[in-house]
Amino acid sequence: MEWYPIFLREMLLFRRKLLRLGYLFSAMVVPIIYLVVFGFGLGRSVSIGGGNYLAFLIPGLVAMSSMNNSYNWVSSALNLNRIYFKTFQVFVQAPIKPSAIMIGEVFAGMIKGLFASVLIIAVGIVASSASFITVPFVAALMINCFLFSNLGVITGMVSKSHEDTATYTNFFIMPMAFFSGTFFPVDRMPVAIKYVMYILPLTHTNILVRKAAFDYEGVVSLAVLILYAVAFFCYGTYLIRNYSE
Amino acid sequence: MIEADKLSKSYGRVRAVNGVSFAIPNGEVFGLLGPNGAGKTTIIKTFTTLTKPDSGRCFIEGIDVAANPIEVKGLIGVVPQENNLDRELTAYENLRIYSLLHNVKEIEAKIDGALQVVGLNDRRDSLAHHFSGGMQRRLLLARALLPEPKVLFLDEPSIGLDPQIRRQMWDVIRKTRIEGRTVVLTTHYIEEAELLCDRVGILAKGELVALDTPAHLKAYVGEYIVELIDPDGKLVQHICKTREEAHIVAKQMTNGVTVRKSNLEDVFIKLTGERIE
Repeated sequence: MEWYPIFLREMLLFRRKLLRLGYLFSAMVVPIIYLVVFGFGLGRSVSIGGGNYLAFLIPGLVAMSSMNNSYNWVSSALNLNRIYFKTFQVFVQAPIKPSAIMIGEVFAGMIKGLFASVLIIAVGIVASSASFITVPFVAALMINCFLFSNLGVITGMVSKSHEDTATYTNFFIMPMAFFSGTFFPVDRMPVAIKYVMYILPLTHTNILVRKAAFDYEGVVSLAVLILYAVAFFCYGTYLIRNYSE
Repeated sequence: MIEADKLSKSYGRVRAVNGVSFAIPNGEVFGLLGPNGAGKTTIIKTFTTLTKPDSGRCFIEGIDVAANPIEVKGLIGVVPQENNLDRELTAYENLRIYSLLHNVKEIEAKIDGALQVVGLNDRRDSLAHHFSGGMQRRLLLARALLPEPKVLFLDEPSIGLDPQIRRQMWDVIRKTRIEGRTVVLTTHYIEEAELLCDRVGILAKGELVALDTPAHLKAYVGEYIVELIDPDGKLVQHICKTREEAHIVAKQMTNGVTVRKSNLEDVFIKLTGERIE
Protein backbone atom coordinates (compact mmCIF):
# COMPACT_ATOMS: atom_id res chain seq x y z
CA MET A 1 0.00 0.00 0.00
CA GLU A 2 2.95 2.35 -0.54
CA TRP A 3 0.90 4.02 -3.28
CA TYR A 4 -1.92 5.00 -0.91
CA PRO A 5 -0.49 8.36 0.35
CA ILE A 6 -0.04 9.56 -3.24
CA PHE A 7 -3.58 8.49 -4.11
CA LEU A 8 -4.92 10.06 -0.92
CA ARG A 9 -3.20 13.37 -1.67
CA GLU A 10 -4.72 13.48 -5.14
CA MET A 11 -8.15 12.66 -3.79
CA LEU A 12 -7.96 15.38 -1.13
CA LEU A 13 -7.04 17.89 -3.83
CA PHE A 14 -9.73 16.49 -6.15
CA ARG A 15 -12.37 16.88 -3.43
CA ARG A 16 -11.47 20.56 -3.06
CA LYS A 17 -11.63 21.01 -6.85
CA LEU A 18 -15.05 19.39 -6.97
CA LEU A 19 -16.34 21.96 -4.53
CA ARG A 20 -15.60 24.54 -7.18
CA LEU A 21 -18.28 24.14 -9.82
CA GLY A 22 -15.80 25.12 -12.55
CA TYR A 23 -14.36 21.62 -12.46
CA LEU A 24 -17.68 19.90 -13.19
CA PHE A 25 -18.33 22.36 -15.99
CA SER A 26 -14.88 21.89 -17.56
CA ALA A 27 -15.19 18.08 -17.41
CA MET A 28 -18.56 18.09 -19.16
CA VAL A 29 -18.52 21.01 -21.56
CA VAL A 30 -16.59 19.50 -24.49
CA PRO A 31 -18.48 16.18 -24.74
CA ILE A 32 -21.80 17.98 -24.32
CA ILE A 33 -20.92 20.37 -27.15
CA TYR A 34 -20.08 17.36 -29.34
CA LEU A 35 -23.29 15.67 -28.28
CA VAL A 36 -25.38 18.70 -29.20
CA VAL A 37 -23.55 19.51 -32.45
CA PHE A 38 -22.99 15.99 -33.79
CA GLY A 39 -25.74 14.09 -32.02
CA PHE A 40 -28.73 16.41 -32.09
CA GLY A 41 -27.64 18.55 -35.04
CA LEU A 42 -25.80 16.50 -37.65
CA GLY A 43 -26.95 13.20 -36.18
CA ARG A 44 -30.60 13.66 -37.14
CA SER A 45 -29.74 13.12 -40.80
CA VAL A 46 -27.18 10.34 -40.24
CA SER A 47 -27.66 6.71 -39.50
CA ILE A 48 -24.92 4.13 -38.91
CA GLY A 49 -25.51 0.47 -39.70
CA GLY A 50 -29.17 1.29 -39.97
CA GLY A 51 -29.21 2.50 -36.35
CA ASN A 52 -29.57 5.81 -34.55
CA TYR A 53 -26.40 7.97 -34.73
CA LEU A 54 -26.88 9.13 -31.14
CA ALA A 55 -26.67 5.51 -29.97
CA PHE A 56 -23.37 5.22 -31.88
CA LEU A 57 -21.99 8.55 -30.69
CA ILE A 58 -22.62 8.41 -26.93
CA PRO A 59 -20.31 5.44 -26.10
CA GLY A 60 -17.61 7.14 -28.21
CA LEU A 61 -18.03 10.38 -26.30
CA VAL A 62 -17.71 8.49 -23.03
CA ALA A 63 -14.49 6.87 -24.29
CA MET A 64 -13.14 10.24 -25.45
CA SER A 65 -14.06 11.89 -22.18
CA SER A 66 -12.39 9.18 -20.13
CA MET A 67 -9.24 9.58 -22.22
CA ASN A 68 -9.17 13.38 -22.00
CA ASN A 69 -9.83 13.59 -18.29
CA SER A 70 -7.50 10.78 -17.20
CA TYR A 71 -4.70 12.03 -19.40
CA ASN A 72 -5.04 15.79 -18.93
CA TRP A 73 -5.45 15.79 -15.19
CA VAL A 74 -2.47 13.53 -14.61
CA SER A 75 -0.13 15.09 -17.18
CA SER A 76 -0.72 18.72 -16.28
CA ALA A 77 -0.81 18.14 -12.51
CA LEU A 78 2.34 16.03 -12.53
CA ASN A 79 4.15 18.49 -14.76
CA LEU A 80 3.20 21.46 -12.59
CA ASN A 81 4.01 19.56 -9.40
CA ARG A 82 7.41 18.56 -10.76
CA ILE A 83 8.55 21.80 -12.37
CA TYR A 84 6.78 24.62 -10.52
CA PHE A 85 5.45 23.50 -7.15
CA LYS A 86 8.17 20.84 -6.54
CA THR A 87 5.70 18.68 -4.62
CA PHE A 88 6.53 15.67 -6.82
CA GLN A 89 10.00 15.73 -5.26
CA VAL A 90 8.41 14.86 -1.90
CA PHE A 91 7.36 11.51 -3.42
CA VAL A 92 10.76 10.92 -5.01
CA GLN A 93 12.47 11.52 -1.66
CA ALA A 94 10.15 9.17 0.23
CA PRO A 95 11.28 5.59 1.01
CA ILE A 96 8.82 3.98 -1.43
CA LYS A 97 9.26 2.15 -4.73
CA PRO A 98 8.99 4.11 -8.01
CA SER A 99 6.14 1.77 -9.01
CA ALA A 100 4.20 2.94 -5.92
CA ILE A 101 4.39 6.55 -7.13
CA MET A 102 3.22 5.37 -10.53
CA ILE A 103 0.29 3.37 -9.12
CA GLY A 104 -0.82 6.22 -6.83
CA GLU A 105 -0.81 8.75 -9.67
CA VAL A 106 -2.51 6.36 -12.11
CA PHE A 107 -5.26 5.28 -9.72
CA ALA A 108 -6.01 8.91 -8.96
CA GLY A 109 -6.10 9.66 -12.70
CA MET A 110 -8.49 6.74 -13.19
CA ILE A 111 -10.87 8.11 -10.57
CA LYS A 112 -10.88 11.52 -12.28
CA GLY A 113 -11.44 9.94 -15.70
CA LEU A 114 -14.21 7.68 -14.40
CA PHE A 115 -15.87 10.57 -12.61
CA ALA A 116 -16.04 12.61 -15.83
CA SER A 117 -17.23 9.51 -17.71
CA VAL A 118 -20.06 8.92 -15.25
CA LEU A 119 -21.24 12.49 -15.86
CA ILE A 120 -21.32 11.88 -19.62
CA ILE A 121 -23.00 8.50 -19.15
CA ALA A 122 -25.72 10.23 -17.12
CA VAL A 123 -26.23 12.82 -19.88
CA GLY A 124 -26.20 10.03 -22.47
CA ILE A 125 -28.85 8.06 -20.63
CA VAL A 126 -31.07 11.14 -20.51
CA ALA A 127 -30.42 12.03 -24.18
CA SER A 128 -30.80 8.54 -25.65
CA SER A 129 -33.04 5.72 -24.71
CA ALA A 130 -30.55 3.19 -26.09
CA SER A 131 -28.82 0.93 -23.56
CA PHE A 132 -25.06 1.06 -24.02
CA ILE A 133 -23.68 -0.10 -20.68
CA THR A 134 -22.40 -3.60 -21.30
CA VAL A 135 -19.59 -5.74 -19.87
CA PRO A 136 -17.16 -4.80 -22.69
CA PHE A 137 -18.17 -1.13 -22.23
CA VAL A 138 -17.28 -1.19 -18.52
CA ALA A 139 -14.05 -3.13 -19.14
CA ALA A 140 -13.04 -0.71 -21.91
CA LEU A 141 -13.79 2.31 -19.76
CA MET A 142 -11.68 1.03 -16.86
CA ILE A 143 -8.70 0.08 -18.95
CA ASN A 144 -8.94 3.27 -21.03
CA CYS A 145 -8.72 5.38 -17.88
CA PHE A 146 -5.81 3.27 -16.64
CA LEU A 147 -3.98 3.45 -19.96
CA PHE A 148 -4.30 7.20 -20.45
CA SER A 149 -3.43 7.95 -16.83
CA ASN A 150 -0.20 6.05 -17.48
CA LEU A 151 0.37 8.09 -20.62
CA GLY A 152 -0.35 11.21 -18.56
CA VAL A 153 2.43 10.29 -16.14
CA ILE A 154 4.83 9.80 -19.05
CA THR A 155 3.96 13.20 -20.55
CA GLY A 156 4.16 14.87 -17.14
CA MET A 157 7.62 13.40 -16.64
CA VAL A 158 9.12 14.14 -20.05
CA SER A 159 7.64 17.62 -20.63
CA LYS A 160 10.20 20.31 -19.99
CA SER A 161 7.57 22.99 -19.38
CA HIS A 162 3.83 23.30 -18.97
CA GLU A 163 3.60 24.51 -22.59
CA ASP A 164 5.17 21.21 -23.68
CA THR A 165 2.27 19.35 -22.10
CA ALA A 166 -0.18 21.34 -24.22
CA THR A 167 1.90 20.53 -27.32
CA TYR A 168 1.65 16.79 -26.67
CA THR A 169 -2.10 17.18 -26.19
CA ASN A 170 -2.52 19.09 -29.43
CA PHE A 171 -0.42 16.69 -31.50
CA PHE A 172 -1.44 13.33 -30.07
CA ILE A 173 -4.50 13.40 -27.86
CA MET A 174 -6.77 15.73 -29.82
CA PRO A 175 -6.20 14.04 -33.23
CA MET A 176 -6.73 10.68 -31.54
CA ALA A 177 -10.13 11.85 -30.32
CA PHE A 178 -11.19 12.45 -33.93
CA PHE A 179 -9.41 9.59 -35.73
CA SER A 180 -10.26 6.67 -33.51
CA GLY A 181 -13.86 5.96 -34.34
CA THR A 182 -15.42 8.33 -31.85
CA PHE A 183 -17.59 10.15 -34.39
CA PHE A 184 -17.67 7.68 -37.29
CA PRO A 185 -16.81 4.01 -37.81
CA VAL A 186 -13.17 3.27 -38.63
CA ASP A 187 -14.10 1.03 -41.56
CA ARG A 188 -15.42 4.03 -43.48
CA MET A 189 -11.88 5.37 -43.87
CA PRO A 190 -9.46 4.54 -46.73
CA VAL A 191 -7.45 1.38 -46.07
CA ALA A 192 -4.10 3.12 -45.42
CA ILE A 193 -5.62 5.52 -42.87
CA LYS A 194 -7.59 2.67 -41.34
CA TYR A 195 -4.37 0.79 -40.53
CA VAL A 196 -2.93 3.88 -38.85
CA MET A 197 -6.14 4.26 -36.86
CA TYR A 198 -5.86 0.67 -35.64
CA ILE A 199 -2.51 1.57 -34.08
CA LEU A 200 -4.18 4.14 -31.85
CA PRO A 201 -5.34 2.78 -28.48
CA LEU A 202 -8.54 4.83 -28.43
CA THR A 203 -9.68 3.02 -31.59
CA HIS A 204 -9.72 -0.22 -29.64
CA THR A 205 -11.56 1.40 -26.74
CA ASN A 206 -14.17 2.63 -29.22
CA ILE A 207 -14.52 -0.87 -30.66
CA LEU A 208 -15.05 -2.31 -27.19
CA VAL A 209 -17.47 0.30 -25.84
CA ARG A 210 -19.92 -0.52 -28.65
CA LYS A 211 -19.86 -4.29 -28.15
CA ALA A 212 -22.88 -5.92 -26.58
CA ALA A 213 -20.66 -8.86 -25.59
CA PHE A 214 -17.08 -10.00 -26.07
CA ASP A 215 -16.40 -11.53 -29.49
CA TYR A 216 -13.12 -12.23 -31.31
CA GLU A 217 -12.66 -8.59 -32.36
CA GLY A 218 -13.43 -7.44 -28.81
CA VAL A 219 -10.88 -9.80 -27.28
CA VAL A 220 -8.20 -8.61 -29.73
CA SER A 221 -8.97 -4.97 -28.90
CA LEU A 222 -8.86 -5.75 -25.17
CA ALA A 223 -5.48 -7.46 -25.64
CA VAL A 224 -4.15 -4.42 -27.53
CA LEU A 225 -5.31 -2.08 -24.77
CA ILE A 226 -3.72 -4.26 -22.09
CA LEU A 227 -0.44 -4.32 -24.04
CA TYR A 228 -0.45 -0.55 -24.32
CA ALA A 229 -1.31 -0.16 -20.65
CA VAL A 230 1.49 -2.47 -19.50
CA ALA A 231 4.02 -0.79 -21.80
CA PHE A 232 3.05 2.69 -20.62
CA PHE A 233 3.10 1.61 -16.98
CA CYS A 234 6.58 0.11 -17.32
CA TYR A 235 7.92 3.17 -19.13
CA GLY A 236 6.39 5.59 -16.62
CA THR A 237 7.91 3.61 -13.74
CA TYR A 238 11.26 3.64 -15.53
CA LEU A 239 11.09 7.43 -15.88
CA ILE A 240 10.33 7.88 -12.16
CA ARG A 241 13.09 5.45 -11.16
CA ASN A 242 15.64 7.35 -13.24
CA TYR A 243 14.44 10.82 -12.25
CA SER A 244 17.34 13.21 -11.79
CA GLU A 245 17.48 16.99 -11.63
CA MET B 1 28.64 9.18 9.21
CA ILE B 2 28.00 11.05 5.98
CA GLU B 3 30.58 10.95 3.26
CA ALA B 4 31.05 12.55 -0.15
CA ASP B 5 33.75 11.01 -2.30
CA LYS B 6 34.93 13.09 -5.28
CA LEU B 7 31.39 14.20 -6.20
CA SER B 8 31.09 15.90 -9.57
CA LYS B 9 28.05 17.14 -11.45
CA SER B 10 27.71 19.29 -14.56
CA TYR B 11 24.69 20.95 -16.15
CA GLY B 12 25.58 21.36 -19.78
CA ARG B 13 28.90 23.18 -19.80
CA VAL B 14 28.52 24.44 -16.25
CA ARG B 15 30.44 22.43 -13.68
CA ALA B 16 28.13 22.73 -10.65
CA VAL B 17 30.18 20.47 -8.36
CA ASN B 18 33.79 19.55 -9.00
CA GLY B 19 35.39 16.66 -7.13
CA VAL B 20 33.99 17.53 -3.70
CA SER B 21 34.92 15.21 -0.83
CA PHE B 22 34.14 15.49 2.88
CA ALA B 23 33.06 13.38 5.85
CA ILE B 24 30.66 14.35 8.63
CA PRO B 25 30.57 12.39 11.90
CA ASN B 26 27.22 11.57 13.50
CA GLY B 27 25.65 14.30 15.61
CA GLU B 28 27.44 17.18 13.90
CA VAL B 29 25.83 20.31 12.49
CA PHE B 30 27.68 20.81 9.23
CA GLY B 31 27.26 23.88 7.07
CA LEU B 32 27.95 24.38 3.39
CA LEU B 33 28.61 28.07 2.91
CA GLY B 34 28.91 29.82 -0.40
CA PRO B 35 27.28 32.25 -2.79
CA ASN B 36 24.44 31.36 -5.15
CA GLY B 37 25.67 28.93 -7.80
CA ALA B 38 28.50 27.57 -5.63
CA GLY B 39 27.09 24.02 -5.79
CA LYS B 40 25.50 23.79 -2.32
CA THR B 41 22.04 22.75 -3.48
CA THR B 42 23.43 20.26 -5.99
CA ILE B 43 25.33 18.51 -3.19
CA ILE B 44 22.19 18.39 -1.02
CA LYS B 45 20.15 17.08 -3.95
CA THR B 46 22.73 14.36 -4.57
CA PHE B 47 22.59 13.19 -0.97
CA THR B 48 18.79 13.29 -0.95
CA THR B 49 18.49 11.22 -4.16
CA LEU B 50 17.10 13.99 -6.38
CA THR B 51 20.23 14.31 -8.49
CA LYS B 52 22.47 11.61 -9.87
CA PRO B 53 26.14 12.66 -9.88
CA ASP B 54 28.23 12.38 -13.05
CA SER B 55 31.00 10.80 -11.00
CA GLY B 56 31.88 10.17 -7.40
CA ARG B 57 29.77 8.62 -4.70
CA CYS B 58 28.09 9.61 -1.48
CA PHE B 59 27.24 7.55 1.56
CA ILE B 60 24.90 7.94 4.51
CA GLU B 61 25.52 5.60 7.45
CA GLY B 62 27.78 3.63 5.11
CA ILE B 63 25.01 3.11 2.55
CA ASP B 64 25.76 4.11 -1.03
CA VAL B 65 23.05 6.66 -1.93
CA ALA B 66 22.99 5.79 -5.65
CA ALA B 67 22.97 2.02 -5.10
CA ASN B 68 20.37 1.91 -2.30
CA PRO B 69 18.24 5.03 -2.62
CA ILE B 70 15.13 3.66 -0.86
CA GLU B 71 17.15 2.58 2.18
CA VAL B 72 18.79 6.03 2.33
CA LYS B 73 15.43 7.81 2.02
CA GLY B 74 14.37 6.04 5.21
CA LEU B 75 17.19 7.76 7.10
CA ILE B 76 16.82 11.34 5.95
CA GLY B 77 14.57 14.35 6.32
CA VAL B 78 14.73 17.22 3.85
CA VAL B 79 13.80 20.89 3.99
CA PRO B 80 14.23 22.08 0.39
CA GLN B 81 15.01 25.59 -0.68
CA GLU B 82 11.58 25.94 -2.31
CA ASN B 83 8.43 25.79 -0.20
CA ASN B 84 7.12 22.55 -1.69
CA LEU B 85 4.10 22.16 0.55
CA ASP B 86 0.78 21.29 -1.02
CA ARG B 87 -0.70 24.75 -0.95
CA GLU B 88 -4.28 23.52 -1.28
CA LEU B 89 -3.99 21.13 1.64
CA THR B 90 -4.11 22.07 5.32
CA ALA B 91 -1.06 21.92 7.56
CA TYR B 92 -2.45 18.70 9.07
CA GLU B 93 -3.10 17.12 5.67
CA ASN B 94 0.41 18.00 4.48
CA LEU B 95 1.90 16.35 7.54
CA ARG B 96 -0.39 13.33 7.33
CA ILE B 97 0.52 12.59 3.71
CA TYR B 98 4.22 12.93 4.54
CA SER B 99 3.82 10.65 7.57
CA LEU B 100 2.14 7.97 5.46
CA LEU B 101 4.84 8.26 2.80
CA HIS B 102 7.51 7.75 5.47
CA ASN B 103 5.61 5.04 7.35
CA VAL B 104 5.49 7.08 10.57
CA LYS B 105 3.89 5.28 13.53
CA GLU B 106 1.43 7.01 15.89
CA ILE B 107 0.78 9.66 13.28
CA GLU B 108 -1.69 11.84 15.20
CA ALA B 109 0.55 12.24 18.25
CA LYS B 110 3.61 12.89 16.08
CA ILE B 111 1.80 15.53 14.04
CA ASP B 112 0.57 17.30 17.16
CA GLY B 113 4.11 17.22 18.58
CA ALA B 114 5.70 18.51 15.37
CA LEU B 115 3.23 21.38 15.08
CA GLN B 116 3.89 22.25 18.73
CA VAL B 117 7.66 22.34 18.17
CA VAL B 118 7.37 24.89 15.36
CA GLY B 119 4.57 26.86 17.04
CA LEU B 120 1.87 26.13 14.46
CA ASN B 121 -0.51 23.98 16.53
CA ASP B 122 -3.21 26.67 16.36
CA ARG B 123 -3.03 26.64 12.53
CA ARG B 124 -3.45 22.88 12.14
CA ASP B 125 -6.48 23.13 9.85
CA SER B 126 -5.46 26.20 7.83
CA LEU B 127 -4.60 25.77 4.17
CA ALA B 128 -0.86 26.06 3.54
CA HIS B 129 -1.33 28.86 1.01
CA HIS B 130 -2.78 31.02 3.77
CA PHE B 131 0.55 30.77 5.64
CA SER B 132 3.22 33.46 5.54
CA GLY B 133 6.63 32.54 4.11
CA GLY B 134 8.03 32.07 7.61
CA MET B 135 5.16 29.82 8.66
CA GLN B 136 5.62 27.72 5.54
CA ARG B 137 9.34 27.28 6.32
CA ARG B 138 8.46 26.20 9.85
CA LEU B 139 5.87 23.75 8.55
CA LEU B 140 8.47 22.31 6.18
CA LEU B 141 10.79 21.79 9.13
CA ALA B 142 8.00 20.12 11.14
CA ARG B 143 7.32 17.86 8.17
CA ALA B 144 10.96 16.87 7.81
CA LEU B 145 11.20 15.99 11.51
CA LEU B 146 8.11 13.74 11.53
CA PRO B 147 9.87 10.46 10.64
CA GLU B 148 12.59 11.27 13.20
CA PRO B 149 15.33 11.11 10.58
CA LYS B 150 18.91 10.29 11.50
CA VAL B 151 20.14 12.99 9.13
CA LEU B 152 18.41 16.27 8.44
CA PHE B 153 19.23 18.17 5.26
CA LEU B 154 18.28 21.84 5.29
CA ASP B 155 18.74 23.79 2.09
CA GLU B 156 18.81 27.49 3.00
CA PRO B 157 16.48 26.90 5.97
CA SER B 158 16.00 30.55 6.86
CA ILE B 159 15.97 32.10 3.41
CA GLY B 160 13.58 35.03 3.21
CA LEU B 161 12.70 34.95 6.91
CA ASP B 162 12.62 38.01 9.13
CA PRO B 163 15.23 38.04 11.94
CA GLN B 164 12.82 37.00 14.67
CA ILE B 165 11.47 33.98 12.76
CA ARG B 166 15.01 33.11 11.67
CA ARG B 167 16.05 32.86 15.30
CA GLN B 168 13.05 30.61 16.02
CA MET B 169 14.19 28.34 13.19
CA TRP B 170 17.68 28.25 14.64
CA ASP B 171 16.27 27.24 18.03
CA VAL B 172 14.47 24.30 16.43
CA ILE B 173 17.63 23.27 14.56
CA ARG B 174 19.66 23.44 17.81
CA LYS B 175 17.03 21.27 19.51
CA THR B 176 17.30 18.78 16.66
CA ARG B 177 21.03 18.62 17.21
CA ILE B 178 20.54 18.03 20.95
CA GLU B 179 18.36 15.03 20.03
CA GLY B 180 21.45 13.53 18.39
CA ARG B 181 20.67 14.06 14.73
CA THR B 182 23.24 14.96 12.15
CA VAL B 183 22.31 18.19 10.41
CA VAL B 184 23.64 19.27 7.03
CA LEU B 185 22.61 22.76 6.04
CA THR B 186 23.42 25.13 3.24
CA THR B 187 23.41 28.84 3.75
CA HIS B 188 24.77 32.06 2.44
CA TYR B 189 24.08 33.79 5.75
CA ILE B 190 27.37 34.23 7.61
CA GLU B 191 25.70 34.57 10.99
CA GLU B 192 23.73 31.36 10.48
CA ALA B 193 26.85 29.38 9.64
CA GLU B 194 28.79 30.81 12.60
CA LEU B 195 26.06 30.35 15.19
CA LEU B 196 24.73 26.94 14.19
CA CYS B 197 27.54 24.92 12.67
CA ASP B 198 30.19 22.80 14.34
CA ARG B 199 32.12 22.81 11.07
CA VAL B 200 31.72 24.72 7.85
CA GLY B 201 32.70 23.78 4.32
CA ILE B 202 33.28 26.79 2.09
CA LEU B 203 32.24 26.27 -1.52
CA ALA B 204 33.18 28.44 -4.47
CA LYS B 205 32.39 27.61 -8.10
CA GLY B 206 31.67 23.97 -7.30
CA GLU B 207 34.84 23.36 -5.31
CA LEU B 208 35.34 22.91 -1.59
CA VAL B 209 38.00 25.51 -0.80
CA ALA B 210 38.12 25.10 2.99
CA LEU B 211 36.61 22.95 5.73
CA ASP B 212 37.03 23.48 9.47
CA THR B 213 35.33 24.89 12.56
CA PRO B 214 34.27 28.54 12.25
CA ALA B 215 36.86 29.49 14.90
CA HIS B 216 39.72 27.76 13.09
CA LEU B 217 38.70 29.22 9.74
CA LYS B 218 38.68 32.72 11.22
CA ALA B 219 41.99 32.12 12.99
CA TYR B 220 43.44 31.13 9.64
CA VAL B 221 42.50 34.53 8.23
CA GLY B 222 43.30 36.59 11.33
CA GLU B 223 40.84 37.26 14.09
CA TYR B 224 40.62 41.06 13.73
CA ILE B 225 39.87 43.28 10.78
CA VAL B 226 40.80 46.97 10.61
CA GLU B 227 38.83 48.72 7.89
CA LEU B 228 38.12 52.14 6.54
CA ILE B 229 36.61 53.74 3.46
CA ASP B 230 39.32 55.58 1.49
CA PRO B 231 38.70 58.96 -0.20
CA ASP B 232 37.69 57.14 -3.42
CA GLY B 233 34.92 55.32 -1.53
CA LYS B 234 36.76 52.00 -1.64
CA LEU B 235 36.78 49.65 1.35
CA VAL B 236 40.31 49.04 2.62
CA GLN B 237 40.88 46.16 5.02
CA HIS B 238 43.85 45.03 7.10
CA ILE B 239 43.74 41.58 8.64
CA CYS B 240 45.42 41.23 12.04
CA LYS B 241 46.17 38.17 14.10
CA THR B 242 45.67 39.83 17.52
CA ARG B 243 43.65 42.66 19.03
CA GLU B 244 46.84 44.54 19.97
CA GLU B 245 48.12 44.37 16.41
CA ALA B 246 44.74 45.64 15.17
CA HIS B 247 44.87 48.68 17.45
CA ILE B 248 48.45 49.50 16.42
CA VAL B 249 47.40 49.38 12.75
CA ALA B 250 44.29 51.48 13.48
CA LYS B 251 46.34 54.21 15.21
CA GLN B 252 48.52 54.56 12.12
CA MET B 253 45.49 55.24 9.95
CA THR B 254 43.22 58.27 9.53
CA ASN B 255 39.86 58.85 11.18
CA GLY B 256 36.81 56.67 10.40
CA VAL B 257 38.65 53.45 11.12
CA THR B 258 36.73 50.52 12.60
CA VAL B 259 38.16 47.48 14.29
CA ARG B 260 36.01 44.39 14.34
CA LYS B 261 36.30 40.64 14.72
CA SER B 262 36.67 38.71 11.49
CA ASN B 263 33.82 36.55 10.21
CA LEU B 264 33.37 33.76 7.69
CA GLU B 265 32.80 36.24 4.91
CA ASP B 266 36.35 37.54 5.49
CA VAL B 267 37.54 33.94 5.24
CA PHE B 268 35.63 33.55 1.99
CA ILE B 269 37.09 36.77 0.55
CA LYS B 270 40.59 35.75 1.56
CA LEU B 271 40.21 32.32 -0.04
CA THR B 272 38.42 33.29 -3.24
CA GLY B 273 38.89 37.02 -3.67
CA GLU B 274 35.10 37.42 -3.93
CA ARG B 275 32.24 38.29 -1.61
CA ILE B 276 29.55 35.75 -0.70
CA GLU B 277 26.52 37.91 -1.55
